[in-house]
Formats: sequence, C-alpha cells, structure tokens
Amino acid sequence: MTRHTENGDGADGTDGSHGDGGPNDGDRRGANDAQRCGCGGTDGTPQPNVPEIGRDERPAIFVPDGGDEEGAGAGPSETDGSAAADAPRTATDGGVESATGGSDSTELDPDAYDPIDVFPEGDLDLRDGADSCYKCTSCDTSCPVAEVDDEFPGPKFQGPEQWRLKRKDDHDIDESITSCSNCMRCDDACPSSVPLSQMHNEARGQFVEEQMEKLSLEYVRNRILANYRTSARLASVVPRLSSFAMNFGPARWAMDKVLGIPKEREFPEFATTTFREWWRDRGGAQIENPDKRVAYFHGCYSNYNTPEVGKAMVRVYEHFGYEVMVPPQKCSGTPMFANGMLKDARRHAETNVENLVEAIGDGADVIASCTSCSMSLRQEYPELFDIHGIEDVSDHTFEALEYLRIHEDLDGALAESDGPGDEQSFAYHAPCHARNQGLARQAVETFRDVDGVEMEDVGDSCSGISGTYGWKSEKYEKSMQIGEEMFDHMEDAEGEVGMTECPTCAMQMEHGTGYEIEHPLQLLEETLVA
Amino acid sequence: MDDQVDVVVVGGGSTGCGVIRDLARRGLDAVLVEKGNLTHGTTGRMHGLLHSGGRYAVSDQKSARECIEENRVLRDIAAHCVEETGGMFVKRPEDSEEYFREKLEGCRACDIPAEVIDGEEARRREPYLARDVEKAIVVPDGAVDPFRLCVANAADAREHGARVETHAEVTDVLVEDDAVVGVEIEHDSGPGKRVHREPGTTEEIRARYVVNATGAWAGRIGEMAGVDVEVRPSKGVMTVMNTRQVDTVINRCRPKGDADIVVPHETACILGTTDEEVDDPEDYPEEEWEVDLMIETLSELVPALKDARTLRSFWGVRPLYEPPGTGTDDPTDITRDYFLLDHAERDDLPGMTSIVGGKLTTYRMMAESISDHVCGKLGHDADCDTADVPLPGSEDFSVLRDYMEEFGIRSPIGRRSAQRLGSRTDDVLGGTDPNPVVCECEGVTRAEVRDGIEQAGSDLNAVRLRTRASMGNCQGGFCTHRIASELAQEYPEPVARDAEDELYQERWKGQRHALWGRQLSQAMLNHLLHATTMNRDGDPATTDADVDFGAFDAGVEPGGGGSAGDGSESDDSAAGVTATDGGIDAAESPDATDGGTHGDR
Ligand SMILES: Cc1cc2nc3c(=O)[nH]c(=O)nc-3n(C[C@H](O)[C@H](O)[C@H](O)COP(=O)(O)OP(=O)(O)OC[C@H]3O[C@@H](n4cnc5c(N)ncnc54)[C@H](O)[C@@H]3O)c2cc1C
Ligand code: SF4
Ligand code: SF4
Repeated sequence: MTRHTENGDGADGTDGSHGDGGPNDGDRRGANDAQRCGCGGTDGTPQPNVPEIGRDERPAIFVPDGGDEEGAGAGPSETDGSAAADAPRTATDGGVESATGGSDSTELDPDAYDPIDVFPEGDLDLRDGADSCYKCTSCDTSCPVAEVDDEFPGPKFQGPEQWRLKRKDDHDIDESITSCSNCMRCDDACPSSVPLSQMHNEARGQFVEEQMEKLSLEYVRNRILANYRTSARLASVVPRLSSFAMNFGPARWAMDKVLGIPKEREFPEFATTTFREWWRDRGGAQIENPDKRVAYFHGCYSNYNTPEVGKAMVRVYEHFGYEVMVPPQKCSGTPMFANGMLKDARRHAETNVENLVEAIGDGADVIASCTSCSMSLRQEYPELFDIHGIEDVSDHTFEALEYLRIHEDLDGALAESDGPGDEQSFAYHAPCHARNQGLARQAVETFRDVDGVEMEDVGDSCSGISGTYGWKSEKYEKSMQIGEEMFDHMEDAEGEVGMTECPTCAMQMEHGTGYEIEHPLQLLEETLVA
Repeated sequence: MDDQVDVVVVGGGSTGCGVIRDLARRGLDAVLVEKGNLTHGTTGRMHGLLHSGGRYAVSDQKSARECIEENRVLRDIAAHCVEETGGMFVKRPEDSEEYFREKLEGCRACDIPAEVIDGEEARRREPYLARDVEKAIVVPDGAVDPFRLCVANAADAREHGARVETHAEVTDVLVEDDAVVGVEIEHDSGPGKRVHREPGTTEEIRARYVVNATGAWAGRIGEMAGVDVEVRPSKGVMTVMNTRQVDTVINRCRPKGDADIVVPHETACILGTTDEEVDDPEDYPEEEWEVDLMIETLSELVPALKDARTLRSFWGVRPLYEPPGTGTDDPTDITRDYFLLDHAERDDLPGMTSIVGGKLTTYRMMAESISDHVCGKLGHDADCDTADVPLPGSEDFSVLRDYMEEFGIRSPIGRRSAQRLGSRTDDVLGGTDPNPVVCECEGVTRAEVRDGIEQAGSDLNAVRLRTRASMGNCQGGFCTHRIASELAQEYPEPVARDAEDELYQERWKGQRHALWGRQLSQAMLNHLLHATTMNRDGDPATTDADVDFGAFDAGVEPGGGGSAGDGSESDDSAAGVTATDGGIDAAESPDATDGGTHGDR
C-alpha cells in the first residue's frame, strides 16, 4: 500500500540509534529529511566519531577563511586581531578563538552583505508540514504569549495554518510572527509532531527578509539584540566601563526611546575576564584523554557574562576525567532565530559546524551549558540549514548535566560527597527549551537526594523573557506578565537562590525577584569538586 | 399565459449559468431553474482545470483551439475565478518520445503557446517533480473555480433582470399542441432563497422557449418532453490533497490514460481522473481502487503525493454526447465537443433545444452559440457581449492591496479573501466589525460568511461554495457550528440546526474516501468534538428526550469545607507538592483531578 499513517515511518529506524534524550526531536528531523531530499539512506550506518556526509554535498556558503579576510579590514577587530593571526591550532591548546575575526562589526550594517549569498536554493517550503495538523489547538493553549497578548493569533495560525494558506510565491507573512518569542512550548504541546518552531523560524526569516524595513529602528534594535555576541565582545574589551555605561541613566533613556530597549531592564554585567581568557591563562585542558573527550560549546553568555558557569563545567568534567576541548565558536543562533535573522544565524552556524565537526572527528561529543544553545545545535540547525556535517553536530550534541547523567554515575558520586558546605535551598525553573529536550526534570532529579540541598521546581510556566523577547520595550509588559506565575512560585519557594540552565531565564528570574541565580553546574562543582 | 417569460433555462451548471447571463444581457426575460445549488451537477464535481487546449492538441484539435481561445477570454472576464498557474506536460523515461513531439506540434498547430524545458528546469519550477522526469512542455493551463464562476454569471444575469431559482427541480416539461410551452417545477422551500423547513411549492413557468442545459441529466428532461437525448454519462474520480505539492498544473505527456493530471486549486491539489461509462448519473459506485489508482499513478510524477495527506475524494459524471450511429465503445474516444440538439429539427418538437457535451472551459462559447440560436428562434436581435464585459467581481481587479491594514485582518487571510472576492472585496469586508475568522483552515472571515448567507439563504452548502468555508483540513469539524451560528442571527434555531447538519453531512461524504492516516485522526477528533462535546450524537434538542440534568452533576457534597476553603486548600497543596518534586507527584495529589493551577491555561 502506498498509504502511510505517519510521516516518520522510514526515518525512525536510523534516527533511533543515537540514544539522545529527545526521541521526539529525532522523529521530526527524520521525517523532514525524508520529505525534503527524498533520498534517505545517507545516514544509514553512523560510524562513531567519523563525520558523515551531510544531507547534501553542497559546500558551505561562507568559507571561514574568507571570513577572516573580510574581517581584516574592519577597525574594531584589531584589539584581538593578534590572536586571529595565529596559525590554526587545535582547540585543546586553549587558544583564544579567532574565527570571528572582526567580521561581526560589519554585520550590524544591514548593507554590508549580499543577500544572494545566503539560501541559494531559495526559501524552505513548509506547506506540507501542515499535513500533520489536525487543529486540536493544544499548541494555542500552551503558548505563553497568546495567553497575555490578545493580538497574537497563536502558534496554530502562525504555523500550519499560515503555511497552508500561503502560495509558493506569496511573501506576505503576517506581522504577528514577530510576537512569537520562540520559546517552543508549542512544539512540546503538539501531539501530532507539527514542526511548529521550524515553521515559525522560517516564516519569521521570510518576514524579516521581505517585509521588515531594513533600516527601521526596530530592525536595527533587533539586530543588535540578536547579535548579542558582537555587542558583548566589544563591551568586554572594557568590561567595567561597559557595565556602567550600559546601565547609566541617560544612556538607558536613549536606548528606550530610540531603540526600544526597556529602561527597566538592567544590562547584564560583563565579566572582567572572559571564559576564553581564563581558559587561555590556565593553559587549556588539564587532562588529556583520547577516550573521553568533550568539546565545550560555551555560548556567548558564559563567555562574556558568567564565566563561572564555564569554569564550573570545565572543573566538573575534568573531575570525571574528561579532556575538555574549547573549539573556536560563534553564536549558537538562538537570538537570531527569534528575530528572524536567519542569514546572520547561518553565517555563525557555518563556523560552529565546521569547528564542531572537526572536534567530533577527534572523538569528542559536543557539550553545551545553555539549554538554548544545545536546542539550537540539535534541532534548529538541521531543520533550517543544509551545511555539511550539520546532522553530525546535531547527533553529537548534549546538554552538560544530561551528558553526565548518561555517562557517569552521578547519583553515586553525589551520594558519596558530603554535599555542599552548608544547607542550601534553590527555586528551580526549567527553561522551555530544556523541556523540549526532555530535560525539564534533570536538575530536580539530580539533586533531590543530595544532603543539604533543597531543590524546588517552581512549575512549568514560561519565564517570559525568551531570550531577546523581553528585551524589547513593546514586549516588556507582556514578558513580565508571562513571568508572573514563575515569580510568584519563586517567592513561595523556600530557597532564596534561583537555579536554571538558561542565562536569559536567569536574567528574568533575577529581574523579577531580586534573587541571585545559579546554574546546576555551579552546584555540582561546589558539591563534587570543591 | 399572461406571465409568460421569454426563456426558461433548465440546469444551473456552468452551461446554464453562462446561458442565462448571455440571454439576460441581450435583454430577454429569462429564468434559470436548478434542482440543487448552482453547480449541483457536474460543474461542482469537476477538476478545475482551465484548459489551455494542450490536452486535446493531438486527439481533438477543434476542441483544443476553442479551449485556448476561451482560456484567454476567461483570464480577462473572470480574473477572480482564475489562477494563472501555468501548466506542464511532463515526460517520464517510459513515455513515448514520438508522442511528446506530436503534442508539441499539436500545440503549435492550435496556437497554444508551448515551450520545451528540460527536467532540471522543470524541477526548479516544481521541486516536488520526480527526479526522472526528462523534460516538459510548458503551456498556459490555469486553475478555475467553478463555484465562483457560476455564482458570478448568475449574479450578473440577475442584475440584468433574470430570475434565478435554485432548489427548484423541473418535474415536467409542458407540451401543448406538439410544442414545448414551459416547465413545471417543484420549489424545495418556496421560491426565492432557500430556507430550511419552509414548505415546498410547485409552480408552472410558461416560456416561449426552453433550453435544456442539464448536462448528464439531459436525457431525463428529454424524456419528460418525449424525445430521446443520448447522453452517455461517464464518471471520473478526483482526490483532494491537503496542501499544494505543486503550484503548476502537471499533466502526464502520454496518449490517454487514467490518473494523469494534478491541478493546484486554492489551498489544495486535486488529482484526477478516470473515465468510465455509467448508467445513471446519480447512482454509480464510488470505488476505493479508483482513489488508490490516483495516488499510486500520480506519485510517479510527484512522489511526495504518496505520503501526503488526502482530504477527500469525489466523483463527477461527464455529459458526453455521441451523435446517433457513431457507436464508440470506449468513452475516452467520445468527442469532447458540444452539440446543440434542436428538437424542432430533430424530433418535430418546437420550443426546446438541448445543449450537451463540452467543457467548463468553453462554457461561454457554448452559451453564446445557444443564445444566438434562441435569439434566432425568437426573432430577437441583440449582440453578445459576454466575451468583453467582466463578470461581477472581476471588474477593475488588477492589484491586490494590503487588506490587512485596511480591514484589520491577518495578511494571508486578507490575501485569500481578496482572491476570492475580487472587486467585491471592499464591499464585503468593509461592513463587518469585528470580523473574526470563522473558518481557520481556509481563512474565511465572518464578513464573507454573512455575505454568502445574504446571497444563499440558510443553505450552508451554498455558502461553502461561495466562500470555501469548511473546505480545508478539518473538513468542517471546527467551523460548521460557527458558520451555523452566523445563521442564527437571522433564522430560527431549528433552521440553523438543520443547515448545520446538512453541511456537516456533506463534508463527511467526501471524507469517507480518505479515512486513513492523518485524515482519519481528523475525522475521529471531529467526531468526538461533535458527538461528545456538542452532544450531537444524541442531542435532546433534536431527539425530544427528557434529560435528567441532575444526573450529570450532582454538585459538591455539602460539608466539604466550603467553597472558599476549597480554593485555598488546593493552592496550598499544589505548592506543597511541587516543593521538592515538581509536577510529577502532583498526579497523586488529591487535587490533581481539578486540573491544578495550570490546567485552564
Ligand atoms: C471528472 C470530470 C472532470 C472534469 N474536468 C474538467 C476540467 O478540468 N476542465 C473543464 O473545462 N471541464 C471539465 N469537465 C467537464 C465539465 O465539468 C463539464 O463539461 C461541465 O461542468 C458541464 O456543465 P453543465 O452545465 O453542462 O452540466 P452540469 O454542471 O451537470 O449542470 C446540469 C445541472 O442541471 C441540473 N438538473 C438536472 N436535472 C434537473 C431537473 N430536472 N431540474 C432542474 N435542474 C436539473 C443539475 O442539478 C445540474 O446542476 C470535467 C468533467 C468531469 C466529469
Ligand atoms: S514558540 Fe512559544 S511564543 Fe512562539 S508560538 Fe510557540 S508557544 Fe507561542
Ligand atoms: S497542537 Fe499540533 S495538531 Fe494541534 S493544532 Fe497545534 S499544530 Fe495542530
């Protein structure tokens, strides 16, 4: 018979073998692959640590070398240009990454790149993703934005309905797509595996590409927020001044009025020493172990703002005997997806994939300490981009705690430890993106039997910040409304310290309650390593 | 005899609607009678291809020439009914090279613009085409919406003084002194707009001339008048896919055969078709193998069809006519041409002419020729202008504006509405505020539904044909009741109920042929919503049963702590449970059944 009841039939078998934490993700990816290339079979027998050929064999569009050239001419990059000039070296030697060069600084100028360079094959056509939707509306009822924003039509419309109503050449995506915060709760809610966030990401990309006035202040603001990495990199050159200046009254007023960045928000502090500087100064990895290697994807935030999370990751992993590599990397793309800046995201993805594939070739798995970064590498990358090796990156990426729970006897190690120095209580919030990877319970499960640690789950609501969403003046109120439930539950919880895996959730938690917020890795470090 | 009209046209398909428009515009006093909705017959069950003529370019060049000529006319006068998709005849390796050449030459001989492209280019234009498609001939095929087309013709006729009666079946042809003098009709619910539950009436309409445009049913009307009309009805299946796998009409380039065409139509793609002679145009088997054949064979051209979701299937009967004595066995060999049967000449029965055969694409041309013929009979001297004057909805309709801004609706919905309404968009969308979306799948707003009701009365199937409401992937599961509640503004509740049932049944009819995979899930969800949530499997309002409402909800046991206490207690315990273990243990909490604090989100 020709009829299939499910769209993933063919692909499940090959995808199921990776044993990652997200069987749903696996299904979905498989199904989309099969639909898009119609060939299947390329990933038939995955060999451990040998990069496979990607879904297609088109070369990446931006060759990183070219990126360096491009960067050479840009002024502000000169500050870390010395490192950039060094010959290629392996990631383990602790080199300060160079692949970014100075190209970022030109990226803020919307005219600085040529649109035809990107998506040479044209936009994705996701109309057939609408086949799986049977209109049950579960997605709408679990969307935190729809709950507080009457103007927002909800994921069902943004995703399957809008795509089905579209014709191939239509470019009118409804403007409301920019209200979706990309929290992906709808993905999680859908009983029918509709690729909602993929549809939203693509639609948002098309909207920004076709409809948003490229030079409008909103566009510039969104690009600044999306390219957080660029701002952060510049700011961290003079971190104390930046932290002060960014939060300085008149400057904030201007940002609110001119760019639409709400004055209520405090800009995160920039660390005086970035994670990568620390890594270089300590001389890179302290342990060599060809059998247990991980490549750390620290993301922008742990590098520039909370290097203590990155340090905790390194110390905990070294405690378990891992050789940690820190390959050159750019932004994971999460803020760019949320703002429809797919071109920016793709450019960064190319660097990331190339370097991570190389690390995978050296036997490493990829570890992220931010759940949005791991989400991006695992799901959004292969859904949105065709880059050589991108599936391998997706298959080999794990969240830091998740990986330890799979490969190490974490419970045993924690049971043997004496617990942290003193009694501690935490109000734990599971980030939406953690939920989508099946990780919403991991912190609670890991620490619930540890002496002296009290870990309260503050429920399954959304923190409301969703990366850059809460950083827009027009979204600020909504963002705080969404967060209300979480704030209340945090206040109710015994602990006065918050805990979460996501740096922007952490900002929101801190903003709403005034609590200090930690990452589970920090508690692990304190319990096991200290 | 006093109220004798000039012409009665029997049959509200494309032919009849075309004729009534033409006659009315020429100043004749004409009446159209149709036993169901407009397009109730074959016209509502056809493929929606606006032929370029390419399909007949080898076998029937006369038809091919007519097609391309009318194709050009319709793009002009019926812009809001036509989508200029373009079409391709694609060749697979096993298809004959020689036939490909003949096809190309045929197209050129008939003045059909035709261009050959290679497989790669074809796939660039249509990425879902099979990898082994070798090449294709590009022709100006299009997609046409038969409902909108007929409604627009009828509306124009009305504006020019014609009377249009739907749900008015001809039960007898009046013959006096060996001449046809009119018809007897049975109004389903009285003359005018159809309203459920209004009593039926009969009426005699006397006319100077009768046009029998009943297509596959022409023989029946003939019988009533005592003449033989040898229509050979031939059925064909069409299968509707949930989305558009292609945006271009895809034909297979080979002689004749079943399952050789995919037509993109609005949000969907329609696969077709077969060609099998049947005895009765209303009662013939609808068989599963026919649907299977569509999907299997056409996925040779578009492999994605194999796993794509199917919404429904439907069948139509072609009104093929064969001049007596031709004796063709295979219906695919019968000509697609149309014939005027002047019963005065043929059967010595003046006063009536039948028109049979033909295609929707050439409906206007057919209408013109029969109108010429009727004017001749009646000695009425007037020119035909239907090829030049746009239909209502297609006047000055060149730019799609941004209706979203103007009418506060979301942009893909605004675009769809504007595509359907054409130049009527402002009138229709302007008046209703707020204007929520009623049918989500097809993006139909309240304004359009109300406009449909204004035109068609309580007949929701007619509203559906005008708006496409309930034609998307839920097949009415989420909108029939919403559409019906728009009716309730004007009509009594039982009328709205009947109308709702009728629409829901109609949607179910076609879905029966798609009950596997995802449409099966949809059907089950629809059923559960309607049966259990809306109680429509045994609604006391329709069964007249006594209901013991107390049995459903006995209320809270007294002494349970009072309502205020309940609330705070559940809050406390929810917080208490989440304290260390989060949500999971909450299932065991005694309060779990009330949905907890998040349940109503
Ligand atoms: C499967 C299939 C696919 C087709 N695809 C295409 C295509 O893609 N392109 C194209 O151009 N053509 C196509 N055609 C042909 C086209 O659909 C028909 O030629 C055209 O619709 C015929 O219209 P009509 O008005 O002559 O007949 P009909 O639409 O059948 O109209 C006759 C009307 O008369 C009414 N009637 C019958 N008896 C009575 C009575 N006693 N009293 C009152 N009313 C009565 C019926 O209810 C009916 O509405 C297709 C046909 C079929 C079967
Ligand atoms: S990603 Fe989040 S905000 Fe966006 S539609 Fe889905 S649930 Fe709503
Ligand atoms: S949850 Fe999934 S199936 Fe249900 S309406 Fe949303 S997209 Fe459709």
